[in-house]
Amino acid sequence: MDYRDTPEEAAFRQSLRGWLANNTIEGWKDIPEDDISRYKAMRKQWQRMLYDAGYLALTWPVEYGGRGQSPTYEAILNEEVGRASAPPLPGMINYLGRAIFTYGTHEQKLRFLPTLLNGDVQWCQGFSEPSAGSDLASLRTRAVLDGDHYVVNGQKMWTSGAIYADWCLLLVRTNTEVPKHKGISCLLMPMDSPGVTARPIYLHSGSPETAEVFLDDVRVPAENRIGAEGDGWRLAMTTVSFERGAADVGFIANLGHQLEALKREINERGLADDVAIRRRLAQAYVDTRVLTANVARQLSMRVSGRDPGPEGSVGKLLWSRAAQGMAQLGLDVAGADALTGRESDWLSDYFTTRPTSVYGGSSQIQKNILARMLDMPRE
Amino acid sequence: MLALLNPEQQMFEETANRLARDLAVVNTADLKTVDRANAYRQLAENGLLALRMRIEGKPLASGVEVSLAAQALGGALVPAPFSASGVLAVELLALAGADEALIQELSEGTKRCGLLLKRDLSALADVADAESVVWDAEGAELAIGLDRSKGEGQLALVKLDSGFEAVEAADLTRAMMKRTGAVSAEPVGSPLSDADMRKWLALALVTVSADLVGVLNGAYAGVLAYTKERVQYGVKIGSFQAVQHLCAEMLVDIEGGRDIVSYAAWAVDELDPDAALLAAREAKAFLSGIARPVSETVMQVYGGIGQTWEHIAHIYARRAQTDALVFGGADVQRDAIADALLGGH
Repeated sequence: MDYRDTPEEAAFRQSLRGWLANNTIEGWKDIPEDDISRYKAMRKQWQRMLYDAGYLALTWPVEYGGRGQSPTYEAILNEEVGRASAPPLPGMINYLGRAIFTYGTHEQKLRFLPTLLNGDVQWCQGFSEPSAGSDLASLRTRAVLDGDHYVVNGQKMWTSGAIYADWCLLLVRTNTEVPKHKGISCLLMPMDSPGVTARPIYLHSGSPETAEVFLDDVRVPAENRIGAEGDGWRLAMTTVSFERGAADVGFIANLGHQLEALKREINERGLADDVAIRRRLAQAYVDTRVLTANVARQLSMRVSGRDPGPEGSVGKLLWSRAAQGMAQLGLDVAGADALTGRESDWLSDYFTTRPTSVYGGSSQIQKNILARMLDMPRE
Repeated sequence: MLALLNPEQQMFEETANRLARDLAVVNTADLKTVDRANAYRQLAENGLLALRMRIEGKPLASGVEVSLAAQALGGALVPAPFSASGVLAVELLALAGADEALIQELSEGTKRCGLLLKRDLSALADVADAESVVWDAEGAELAIGLDRSKGEGQLALVKLDSGFEAVEAADLTRAMMKRTGAVSAEPVGSPLSDADMRKWLALALVTVSADLVGVLNGAYAGVLAYTKERVQYGVKIGSFQAVQHLCAEMLVDIEGGRDIVSYAAWAVDELDPDAALLAAREAKAFLSGIARPVSETVMQVYGGIGQTWEHIAHIYARRAQTDALVFGGADVQRDAIADALLGGH
């Protein structure tokens, strides 16, 4: 047991820190997320810089353009990028890549993996629908084979990054005659296909990071199906389980920034002697530390060759608790100023953390998963 | 980084768990019949009281092993003073460079030494403190505390045969005494430096936090099994989502607690005293914070049976709530953590 970096990890961290000190995109935070073309260009540029420096796909097999390193390196990357206040890492490439190199044909791998990595093609994932949120398997977007094309009709919801994306990993129903989990397939769809309309959804934080996508008679070549027909649910579950995990470490770096901001704010507002505020600050810090220790163990398990399983639900619940607690405290420290326009960051952080207990499987869904993992009786 | 037990530590954990199962208190009636002297002898024979003995200045085992043993013994409600006599008194005496013979006797279990704590249980007490209590005093003839009149950090031993009497403590698995009259104190070893005091406190907080992880996990494991057997409305109560979510919430708290204790236990011997103490306070703040909610949820899910004297649920709750306050409750730790984050106030 050792919570410190190994010498190799420490060397990687040090050279990465050096790189980050000299490589960032000045002023990226000032680009409004709804300035789509500028924001997209910034994201592409940042991804390209990371790619050229060899910091993407650290954990992928070498044959697919990765570096074959252990997940610890991915975690260090997340941690350091967060600490440096650099633009966020391109979030989806790891699990999209995993889906493609696990389920894709040789041709699909050759075609999609290089541009996924270097950022030339930006992706989104079309999973949820208006009536298929937590109950994702009940999705209704229909794909019907017509010659060598699928004709797709339906609507996707909460498609993060859709307004920036060139392609979409889409879950569709190809068979209505079988149990709901078995009739789902996965298509790779260009977002500029005729019949695709993406409309931003502005969250209560004011950010348009997600979107709804309307699909009207969209023709997707059958060769763009990934995995067999009916394999979509399995594919989605494998990739989504990789969506959590190491990425949490990036959130931890963000919590670290918030903690520093809170300390400054508490001092500036003369609240440093307020016992109640001090205790809440300490508890917010403790919750972050508990999450960090949990992530360290999860990561170590993965490094030791154990796949991320339902234990990820514990981490997700610890994370949303820590993130929401921190933002609630920020809002309380800012007090009325957060509501009267004098100070806007904590209000925005507050609303930004609300969906953490909803997306990626709501807290209630995570508890259902844990109950199943605990082998509790089914009704 | 590899935040997992190494193979030797895994073996140690298995051994400790096996031993704890043999010595477990399973229901309230066991408390009267359990052979407490034998339980302590077993701990000694298995080397659990010698973990912090020094060989060439180094402890035989690290904070990690102490934590694993404490989790195992707490989880089985083993009624033996492992924490005070077997770990924390030995550690104090070793840090003070005290007489080897006494350390030897404590680690062989032939003598036992409780810890003299302040009335609020938050810290080691001074031998002059007329309101002090002795914690984890089962079978102890001695207790160790501070004697500041002889210098800052000076330790002293008090004999428990006069000036102390047993109290009816909440925790039915560990004995407690209170000071009732004059005592004679004998200084022991050299005064502890500030840094050594912080090191010791880090180990103390980790030991009690680890006991709490064990206690809460033992209570939770019991009630989880119950939800898979108990039938109401013709179905097992564990099939109700309301009950499932209560169990999942306990699991999240306990897993998080285990993870932070694991880090703090590692930190005891690997980080400098300030960092080790901060890590230990993080662990204790979290565990003290969940001690009551988890104990209460356990009693709730058991329903009526969990409200009875005969049932084990309250034995866990009693030990948990005592642990929660020993060396300071959640707010004591939060105040100290806030001092570290914001500077003292």
